[in-house]
Amino acid sequence: MTFGEKLKAGKFLITAEVAPPRGTEWKDVVRGIEPLKGKVDAFNVTDCQRSMVRMSPLAMSKLLLDSGFDPILQLTCRDRNRIALQADLLGAAALGIRNICLMTGDFTTLGDQKDAKPVFDLDSVQLIETATRLTEGYLLNGKELKGAPRFCIGAVFNPFAGPFELQVMKLEKKIKAGALFVQTQPIYDARIAEEVNDLVCELGAVPIIGLLPIKSLKMANFMKKLNPTSVPDSLIEGLERSENPAKYGWDYTIDLAHAIAEFGKGIHFMLVGKTEELASFIDYLKNHKKYNHKF
Amino acid sequence: MVVVKLKAFEEIVSKLKGFRKIFILGCELGSGRCKNGGLKEALELSERLKGLGFNVVGVKSPGGTCILERIDGRERSLLKEAKTKGSEVIVSLACGAGTQLIAENVDVPVITGVTTLFIGAEREGRIFNEYCIACGDCIISDTGGICPVARCPKSLVNGPCGGAIEGQCEVDKEIPCIWYKIAERMKKLGAFKSLCESAPFKDYRKSVYPRRLILEEKS
Ligand code: SF4
Ligand code: SF4
Repeated sequence: MTFGEKLKAGKFLITAEVAPPRGTEWKDVVRGIEPLKGKVDAFNVTDCQRSMVRMSPLAMSKLLLDSGFDPILQLTCRDRNRIALQADLLGAAALGIRNICLMTGDFTTLGDQKDAKPVFDLDSVQLIETATRLTEGYLLNGKELKGAPRFCIGAVFNPFAGPFELQVMKLEKKIKAGALFVQTQPIYDARIAEEVNDLVCELGAVPIIGLLPIKSLKMANFMKKLNPTSVPDSLIEGLERSENPAKYGWDYTIDLAHAIAEFGKGIHFMLVGKTEELASFIDYLKNHKKYNHKF
Repeated sequence: MVVVKLKAFEEIVSKLKGFRKIFILGCELGSGRCKNGGLKEALELSERLKGLGFNVVGVKSPGGTCILERIDGRERSLLKEAKTKGSEVIVSLACGAGTQLIAENVDVPVITGVTTLFIGAEREGRIFNEYCIACGDCIISDTGGICPVARCPKSLVNGPCGGAIEGQCEVDKEIPCIWYKIAERMKKLGAFKSLCESAPFKDYRKSVYPRRLILEEKS
C-alpha cells in the first residue's frame, strides 16, 4: 500500500525526513535510507530547509521515487511565486509524485544565502488552496488544465508556536483548504502529543507526530532555544544524569513512539543517521501484537 | 511619514570630488521630522563641508521637497536661487522622491546625502517603525488596524507562521511577532472570530511600480 492508500485506510503511518544533498551527489542520500525501504511509508523531501541552498526537492523526490521510495515533496512559499508553485506542482504530478506537504517556509535571512529576495507571494493556507484547485482541474486564474493532478496534501503544525488560538485557527484553515495530513514539529511529551493528535483529528485531518531523537545536551539546548516550551525539564535532567546521552535521547524517543502508537495515527521521524535502529524499531512495532492491527 | 537616514559624511564627500560650489537642500517634512536631513542637519553638513574647503553657496530646507511648488514656486524658487548662486552641484537630504524631483528640474548634478528607508510611524520623537509598505491593497480594516503585510517579514495574511515563539518573530528576536498584537487587538474589539475566514490572495498588480495617482478634475 502506498502512503496515500494507507492514509485513506486509516492505517498507522510512519514517515521520515530526507534532506537533498548540497550538490549533485544524491546516491549517498538514497543509500543512507536503504534500511528503511518498505518500513517507512514515505519520506519528506525538504525544500532548502532552514533556507540553506540544496538540490531541488522536486528533483530529489523523483530520484527517490525511481529508487523505490514514496516521497512527500515539501514546497515552501519562500522562493517561488504563484506561477512557479503551480508549475512545480503540475510537474511533480506528471513525474508521479503524489504526496505533497505545503508550508510557509523559514525566512531567507536565517539561512546561508541571506541576501536572497524573499518571495512569500502566497502563504501556506493559500498554497494548499492552490494545490486543491489544481486537483479540481483548474489553475488559480480559472483556466482549465489539460490533465489534472492527484495529490495527497499535507500541512505542518508547530504546537509550541503562538498565539495558540491563531495557530489553531490557521491549522483549521489549512485543513479546510484541503490538507489531509498534518505533520508536527518535534514533540517530547506524550501528553502534548495526545492533545495535538486529538486536535488534528477533531479538525478533520490525520495527525503525524514529529519525533526528533536528542543526541546530546547541546542539541537539547539548541531545540530549547528554537522552541523553549517543547523540551521538558525532565528530559534535560535525564540527559545531564545519563552517561550515554545519545542512548538516553534515543530511548526517550522510542518510549514516546510507543505511546503514540497506542493512541495516535502516525509518527514522523526527523532524524539523520540511526537508520538501522529505526528500521528494527519499526519491525518491532509492526510485529508486536499490541500494535500490529494498526498497520 | 517617509523615514530617511543620513549617509556617512565620508560617503557624501566621496561623491563631491571635482566640485567646489555646493547648494544643500534638506526637507522639513520627512527628513527633518526624523532628524536625518532637515535644516539642522543641512547646516551641520554645510559646516563640515566648509571645513574641508568646499564653498557652500546656500542651505535651504523647505516644508516638502517632494512638492514642486515648494522648491520651484512662483514667489520663491530654491532651484533658481541655486542656479544664480552658481552651484556646481546640489546635495539633497530629501527622500528619494524629493531628490529626484530636484534632479528633474536642474541642469547640475544632484547627489543624495540620505537613504530612504520606509514609511513609518514615530514615537517619542526618536523611534521610527515601518508600518506600511504601500502595497496598494490595504487590508488593515480586517486585522484590527494593524498591518501584517508590512509588519510581518513574510507578509502573512492568514495568521502567524510556525516560527512565532513566545511573542517574538522568527526573523528577528528584537521585533515582536505582529500576529500577537493582532490577536490581542481583535480580542479586545470582540472581533477575533472574523480572523477565521481565509484571507483573499493579494493582488500584486496593485503594487507594480511605478504607480501613480491622478486626481479627477472637479467640475
Ligand atoms: S495593508 Fe498595504 S496599504 Fe495597508 S498598511 Fe499594510 S502595506 Fe500599507
Ligand atoms: S514570527 Fe510572526 S511576524 Fe515573524 S514571520 Fe512569523 S508570522 Fe511573521
